[in-house]
Amino acid sequence: MKQTKRSIAIFLGPAALLYVLVFFYPVVRTTMMSFFEMRGISSPMKEWTFAGLKNFNKLFHTQLFLISMKNIGKIWLYTGIATLGFALLLALILTQGLKFQKFFRASVYLPNVIAAVAIGYMWLLYVFNNKFGLLTTLFKLLGWEKMAQFQWLSGNNMFLSMCIAYVFSNTGYFMMMYIAAMENISRDYYDSAHIEGANVFQRFLYITLPLIKGVLGMSAVLWTTRTIGFFALAQVFSNTSTFTPMLYTYRTLFATEAGSESVNPGVAAASAVVMTLTAVIVSQGLKHLIKTENYEI
Amino acid sequence: MSRKRKIISGLKKEMLRLPGYLLVIVWVGFTFFMIGWIILASFSTTREIFTGDLLASGLHVSNYVKAFITNKGLRNLMNSVIYTVPSCVLIILVCAPAAYCISRFAFRGNGLLQKLILIGLAIPGIMIIMPMFSIISTLNLSGSHFTLIFLYTATSVPYSTFFLMPFFAGVSTTYEDAAAIDGCGPVRCFWHIMFPLVQPAIVTITIFNFISKWNEYFMALVFANKSELRPIGVGLYQIVTSMMNSGDWAGMFASVVIVFVPTVVIYAFLSDKIISGVTAGGVKG
Repeated sequence: MKQTKRSIAIFLGPAALLYVLVFFYPVVRTTMMSFFEMRGISSPMKEWTFAGLKNFNKLFHTQLFLISMKNIGKIWLYTGIATLGFALLLALILTQGLKFQKFFRASVYLPNVIAAVAIGYMWLLYVFNNKFGLLTTLFKLLGWEKMAQFQWLSGNNMFLSMCIAYVFSNTGYFMMMYIAAMENISRDYYDSAHIEGANVFQRFLYITLPLIKGVLGMSAVLWTTRTIGFFALAQVFSNTSTFTPMLYTYRTLFATEAGSESVNPGVAAASAVVMTLTAVIVSQGLKHLIKTENYEI
Repeated sequence: MSRKRKIISGLKKEMLRLPGYLLVIVWVGFTFFMIGWIILASFSTTREIFTGDLLASGLHVSNYVKAFITNKGLRNLMNSVIYTVPSCVLIILVCAPAAYCISRFAFRGNGLLQKLILIGLAIPGIMIIMPMFSIISTLNLSGSHFTLIFLYTATSVPYSTFFLMPFFAGVSTTYEDAAAIDGCGPVRCFWHIMFPLVQPAIVTITIFNFISKWNEYFMALVFANKSELRPIGVGLYQIVTSMMNSGDWAGMFASVVIVFVPTVVIYAFLSDKIISGVTAGGVKG
């Protein structure tokens, strides 16, 4: 078939234009902004003054930003282990041919189609409520008085509570990824292992795990790019202990609660750059770590 | 294997499955109980919520009247539709031709384009919004629905193109050859022959895009945080924040229900399509 330059331009033109406008240009301009000082986000470039690394310096001396980076690190690590761990476990269970397997899979995935704000409020207003909440009621019913007294939404426990909600709403997505990978593995491997007398744990350890290693690595990278944009839940749970870099950047740009003197687009841009670099470095590190030979499935 | 051993091994198998059943049932049971309770609470009074007798005095539809009318839930819902539907259509109009071209045409820069798509998948929204905000306020577009439609379309280009590429790659070249012999140009050939052939994939990605745009929060908060522009998610944040002071819990639950019911209903009917959107693309949510 004839592939004229003209038809290529027609097919690719709109997509390329949007890409340049919404990805290429903004990334370049945000990176530039991080080295300049300006009054507002919309200040034209000629009103910018060069600041060198001043924005970054200021950023790393801002307590709230440091707290938020520490928080996102904890969210990435702890809820990452919990989410991917539960996802793997549920994927393993739901590939064994249980009754109502399809229904169970679809139900575990369900929270992923609900908006993060709504998920946040379902937990904040209902599950964690200490008067009529699900957990308090449940623990009272079981007679675990101490657990029933637990204040899920007090200052110190807010972070834990938010992480539980985050794990719950993300697990289904990764579970589906793992299920797809596990179902790609040929039955023959399991059959012959079964004949050799391998039990379910050995089969998981020596067949499933090595064969889905690539997908596990990919999911860890995906987890990183997802968590860096952690925002809606942090805003809903709204507490210093649940502050994330995304929320910090948003507040530094628009100052909804703090006074207007805290608005600083240069620092916000620096924060965006730091977040992006962190995500890229961590993802590359993970890719490097997990890069191993691929097995033929 | 003797019969006895078979029974024992079958029993052992079920015993091993028991903890599995238990975990799954607790997890799923929790999910449905939570959703169900919130729906019941949204039809009760705040008093009933606190005393634990949901629906004791019958269905209170007034919570919804308040959520839809007084709290502008209806308008927010309309706004969400205005943002989501055109974006989904535009995404296909832009991405399907691009995916087709990249996956089937050999030309210089093709490899680079594929790399750029992957990079685009990894760029966080926070890097994008500041320059976009300044462009949009310079063009005086900050009061219009167009802004979010444009942003939703444009930011979906990498994933949707990436998702559609393998489907176009899988179509036999004989279709194009036959079309070319019959004198059909490449653009017509694409829309009349290739596009219908990958229709299932188009449907999948569109449902997937619909849900992700419907649930999008950050850009909506930045670009549509005015009462006449707010989509449903941003509206919910505003409503709950203001209701928290008045203590209208029933009203808050009604507002939460309005946000999640549309996507959950769509999911109930199209879960297979949505799940295959996750596993086939398998890269980004």
